Amino acid sequence: MPLSKSEIERYQRQLLVDSWDKERLKGARVLVVGVGGLGGISAAYLAAVGVGNLRLCDSDRVELSNLNRQILFAAEDIGRPKAALAAKRLSAQNPEIKIEVISDKLTETNAIELTSGCDLIIDGLDNHSDRLKLNNVSFDLNIPFIYGAINEWQGQLSFFNPPKTACLACLMPEELQDPKPTPVFGALPGVIGSLQATLALRYLMTGENPISNALLIFHADTMAFETVTFERRPGCGVCGKTIPSGPRR
Amino acid sequence: MIIFIKAGGQLRAMIKPDIDHYTRKVETDGEKTIGEILKGISLDPSFVALIHVDGKMKDLSYKPSNGQTITLQPPVSGG
Repeated sequence: MPLSKSEIERYQRQLLVDSWDKERLKGARVLVVGVGGLGGISAAYLAAVGVGNLRLCDSDRVELSNLNRQILFAAEDIGRPKAALAAKRLSAQNPEIKIEVISDKLTETNAIELTSGCDLIIDGLDNHSDRLKLNNVSFDLNIPFIYGAINEWQGQLSFFNPPKTACLACLMPEELQDPKPTPVFGALPGVIGSLQATLALRYLMTGENPISNALLIFHADTMAFETVTFERRPGCGVCGKTIPSGPRR
Repeated sequence: MIIFIKAGGQLRAMIKPDIDHYTRKVETDGEKTIGEILKGISLDPSFVALIHVDGKMKDLSYKPSNGQTITLQPPVSGG
């Protein structure tokens, strides 16, 4: 899918980047589940670089306590639906791409419809329970997902694409005991959301996953990145099941 | 033997660090698992989301050796 004259001008700086595949990016479809601290940042960068089709899924409305980190939204947006607002902001930034709005929560019932036709899922969720549901969908439908999570001074990132990799349930199969609300300041989801977008772009354009079977941990208090490797867990309740036969990249 | 237990987030205060802000020195024997060692310092393992040693994930049944640092990850689930 060739770029128009205005797209060539808009994207001229990234077209200078080695291995940049503009057509592949324009033809890609990415589902971003949750457009708050993490998903709002990753969606903004994916939109800006011209991922051709974004599907934004979020059932929440903007609250005042979101505004310390969710920079797509303003004080005047309080009470309004996040997914539609995010789409409006991103369309204003880059009118060349198509954005679909889903103001529903991802559930097992609507998962197939929401993820249909997508090349990749970005995790912008705010709890482990929903991430495990996303992991199930990702595995069942053969769509890789980029995991991100934050708490206090720590952020985490990984790429799950079983059976090529382990899945989230191999690593953390059960609900996590963390206090709510999550302690968080805005720059940390900014870092992790940006890393999710970067990883997504690399995968979409090259098919490469540079953090296979690895969890990247960012310690914001010491400015240290740490990589911890893991393996598929025999008997995993998700990817230990029969492998789906659908298409994979 | 001596091992080092390192933790951040909500786990940091629970391990009662004594080496630096994040690390506690623990004397143990080579037969104890991480789960047993954590119980020995009165830390409920259910608060630990992930355990890693030398860059690799381990579970509560892992038996550390002398001088190793056991890193405990707290639950990280926000967005």
